[in-house]
Amino acid sequence: MKGSTDRNALEVQDFNARSAAAAGAAKHYGEALLDAAQRDPRIVCLTADLTLPTETDLFRDHLPDRFHQVGIAEANMVGIAGGLARSGEIPFVHSFCVFATRRCYDQIAMQVAYPRANVKIVGVIPGLTTLLGVSHQAIDDIALMRALPNMTVIEPSGPAQVRAAVAAIAAYDGPVYLRLKRADGSEGPADTAEDFSIGRMRILRNGTDGLLVACGMMVDVALRAADRLAGEGKSVGVVDMATIKPLDPALIELARAVPAVVTLENHSIIGGLGSAVAEMLLEHGIRAGFRRVGVRDCFAEGGSTPYLFETYGLTEGAVVDAFHQASRQSPA
Amino acid sequence: MAMDRQPAPRVSDPAELQRIARALRRDVINLVAPTGQGYVQQGLGAADLFATLYFGEMRLDPDDPEWPDRDRFLLSTAHNTAIFYATLAARGLVPQDAVKSYCLDGSPFEINASERVGTAVEATLGSLGQGLSVGIGMAVAARRRGSPTRVYVVLGDGELQEGQVWEAALYAAGQCLSNLCLIVDDNCMQVEGDIGKVVPVAPIDQKFRSFGWAAENVDGNDIPTLQAALARARLADRPTCLVARTVAGKGVPALEGLLAHNLKLPPDVARDALAALQDTENAA
Repeated sequence: MKGSTDRNALEVQDFNARSAAAAGAAKHYGEALLDAAQRDPRIVCLTADLTLPTETDLFRDHLPDRFHQVGIAEANMVGIAGGLARSGEIPFVHSFCVFATRRCYDQIAMQVAYPRANVKIVGVIPGLTTLLGVSHQAIDDIALMRALPNMTVIEPSGPAQVRAAVAAIAAYDGPVYLRLKRADGSEGPADTAEDFSIGRMRILRNGTDGLLVACGMMVDVALRAADRLAGEGKSVGVVDMATIKPLDPALIELARAVPAVVTLENHSIIGGLGSAVAEMLLEHGIRAGFRRVGVRDCFAEGGSTPYLFETYGLTEGAVVDAFHQASRQSPA
Repeated sequence: MAMDRQPAPRVSDPAELQRIARALRRDVINLVAPTGQGYVQQGLGAADLFATLYFGEMRLDPDDPEWPDRDRFLLSTAHNTAIFYATLAARGLVPQDAVKSYCLDGSPFEINASERVGTAVEATLGSLGQGLSVGIGMAVAARRRGSPTRVYVVLGDGELQEGQVWEAALYAAGQCLSNLCLIVDDNCMQVEGDIGKVVPVAPIDQKFRSFGWAAENVDGNDIPTLQAALARARLADRPTCLVARTVAGKGVPALEGLLAHNLKLPPDVARDALAALQDTENAA
């Protein structure tokens, strides 16, 4: 024992606690994964030295024979997952969003996407949600995964949807990227969804003056922005687009009926939800005004989530401004 | 009971395996000659290895290529396909006639092997460094289901420059994957030429041994030596790495030892090569 410090009293946090706005939430993902695995013996779990932060300690403790700790080696983890899937297993691989995608992109392309392997890639710490810094911030993971043929990309908006999404992807035969914000107790009113279907958007609010299309944490921001706009007399709809690929084509008719569309994502404005929506709407002749809210083609730095969201324009104020800009563009 | 099922008969007589290897060398030239495309030097060099693995060692059933307890083979470099396809065809795992479309537009028999060929290509590799990881996944799954499946992965020696190989090597040793056998096709050649002059990888066996593998150097063109090493690997309590030194262009005097990764085979050289291989056959 060095000096007078009681080393037993020191707190050892996991990454989530370090970065969380509030602490001590349930392990929604971990419980849902364990539940799915207890129903389906083909499900196995791989992690790259991030068991607690990915909530896979529950799986490890209950199903140790199907849990693989591969160490700090994401490329190897994805390759192993490919081999397991080709042997009839359903691997769920886990890391932070940035390492689960960008770090092992070629391995995912060749061993997961190309062969349509039944591998689920699960990342935590989406976008600007970590104190750690730029190395741990995933601002291009949706873009990367979306560009891969055969890949499904899902970002749930809250704990109930996480549970439903895990059940859905476990039942789906094919590659999926699941982008997760772990619950930290700060979850807002968007989290009412216990139903989830891959490729199906959720209309949370209808409106005639515009439409906010959001995924993940930005769904709450969209709802708050819609409230503010309602205070200005604007009727603005809100869509939770939890499946970014394949994008729900029902969005086309919804967008056709409004003069302005704004997308919201905790991700670069390049290649993610905003790009996907723009591509779909433009190719279907939708002439609404259009703005993307997201990280505007720059790297960020470590910080609290509220600070980073404010600094990089992921706030309801930014959404309100974007809505007005889009409305002014509208040909109508 | 699945465990009682026997694989197709295998060849243990080294002389017979040598005869098969000589035939495969002629097939390599015949596959490459029409277009000049494909990897001649590597194919000739690895013919003894492929003959020993596919005809002598691996538990397969050409009548049921998807037999769950079959041994798995992964060619991580994926490009050494003239010998790979020639072997698959000779073993009856793909149709003889189909292989003749090698390198032609629309053919599933691409230069870099993909699963378009079917189950015989167990994974689409060729982005170097990935095969050992995939093999580990197959070995782990086989162990979990109690299958006698063994997994054979062939890496190129130049491929060892890829970092993922060493992530995989660490993990396989930690898991004591005794059902995994890595064979390094140690032909001393990469795109830029002599590996020793690009980024040396030797001593390969010592590296793997220090990672916790059983490892030995073998003459990859000597079939009895290969047979014995593969038999030892089957009995090991850990993964085995066989560093199989192969001679590029082996069997064709005009090509032997020529470190030419992307050799385009001119028609006259192909003709002479076939004649030389036929002379060897006649003398055998």
